[in-house]
Amino acid sequence: MLKRLRTWTRGLLGVRRDPTYYLPWLTRPGLDCVVLLNNIESRFTSGRQGRGLDARLTQFDSDGRVTSEQHATLVDSTDAREVRLVPAAAGYGFVTVEAPRIKSDLYVALADGETYTATHGRHEFIEHYPAWTRGVLAVVGALLAPLGLTVPVFARDQYVYHGAASRSHVLILNLSNVVNRVRLVAERNGARVGTRLVRIPPRGARLVDVGSLAPATSALTVEHLRLTGNAWFNLYLIGAGSEDLEGALSLMHVK
Amino acid sequence: MSSELSALMSATFHEVGHAHLVELVHQKDRAARRRLASLRLSAYDADGGLQLDRALDPAEEILDVAALLDEPARRHGRLLVVFDARYDPEVFPYRPHHYGYLHRAESTAPPLYYAVNATLGGVPDRIGAVALNNFETYLFLDRPMSGHHAVAVGNLSRFAPADAEVVSYYDGIRHVETVRLMPKAHTEVKLAPEREGHRLRRVELKALFRMASYVVGRRAGGELVLFDHLFTYFK
Repeated sequence: MLKRLRTWTRGLLGVRRDPTYYLPWLTRPGLDCVVLLNNIESRFTSGRQGRGLDARLTQFDSDGRVTSEQHATLVDSTDAREVRLVPAAAGYGFVTVEAPRIKSDLYVALADGETYTATHGRHEFIEHYPAWTRGVLAVVGALLAPLGLTVPVFARDQYVYHGAASRSHVLILNLSNVVNRVRLVAERNGARVGTRLVRIPPRGARLVDVGSLAPATSALTVEHLRLTGNAWFNLYLIGAGSEDLEGALSLMHVK
Repeated sequence: MSSELSALMSATFHEVGHAHLVELVHQKDRAARRRLASLRLSAYDADGGLQLDRALDPAEEILDVAALLDEPARRHGRLLVVFDARYDPEVFPYRPHHYGYLHRAESTAPPLYYAVNATLGGVPDRIGAVALNNFETYLFLDRPMSGHHAVAVGNLSRFAPADAEVVSYYDGIRHVETVRLMPKAHTEVKLAPEREGHRLRRVELKALFRMASYVVGRRAGGELVLFDHLFTYFK
């Protein structure tokens, strides 16, 4: 019922959803961010050509600006290509991959010269709102922002864990062409311990330190985060050790 | 609520010395309506010997795996941890998911979030699979690594032993290692970083039925830097 209502509302507002494969990116001094392109799935499935996969990678920075476009071609189904993402602006954002003949997952890795951590991207969509809808959202969003609120169109729940020796950051990706105001509420044992409203430009991203949202009170504190935005968004989790973002990092997708 | 319940079996591994938290249900909602009908945890040593078996309260949000299993893990080494859940398919139209968190005490390595491995549990329709789901693959970066990768694999069957074939690729070089696992037995198959001057590029895991499996990356001292699921393409 709710799904139908959402679909109907999107139609009324003229919202278009363009299928998009995206991955997060994050660069720090001494830390490379690499997308690992592959077409290995075609080796094991029928009906998909295994040869000559052309891919175009478009890298968006945290403010939604295109910072690079790169092309790569895979020779065959066992070929793999590493595409190094370009450090830019705040050092994070998302990258889209246009490769019409691939449906399998691609990897993004953070490599520190000794080891690396990796996760995969998502085949979802980017929402395109027509001008009038963008205008309405901008006005309503600006009215609600001083109250710390947003238009509650999408919500996600996420557990995060942090303490003195381990930090967690949430990389929020705005997968739409409107300004997305995302409200974060941290709860601990059912009690609210922190709130923040984050303004994310179209196709932009923001990195939120869970410790600054709700300081840890034990060696390992569990927070329940509820994120509510006025347009489609997704998130990745960044794990950091005692050196926080200056040290080695891990990266993880969530549903 | 549906009158019929579905089942999900999922699995992870636990090593002593790690903070290890697992959420019981990822798809939490504010009213906490999305909860499992029941959940049972069992833990097995490398030979498949049962070391712990207990019902969990599905209303709990986060399970402290280390608090529960550090003591048997200290005595028996790494444990295969099996979650046997029952859930209402109307509450979880696809299936429940749950994620975990791992961090070794006093480690400078970052903590790892990971997706707990869903292993069918006898209900392939709930996981979108129409064929046997027993072939998985994973790719590696082409660069030197301090430490090594491995495949952690466990046999979740109740009665049947299984041969798990771990095939690693080093450009043109193919290396096969087969391990026989009794029910609930598990092991970690170490992957050589290089063979004949070629780096590890890909690994495949094949078995007659779905195994509990993770790709593991370890620093030279054994610290975990990667704990990730492989990819299945037969659905």
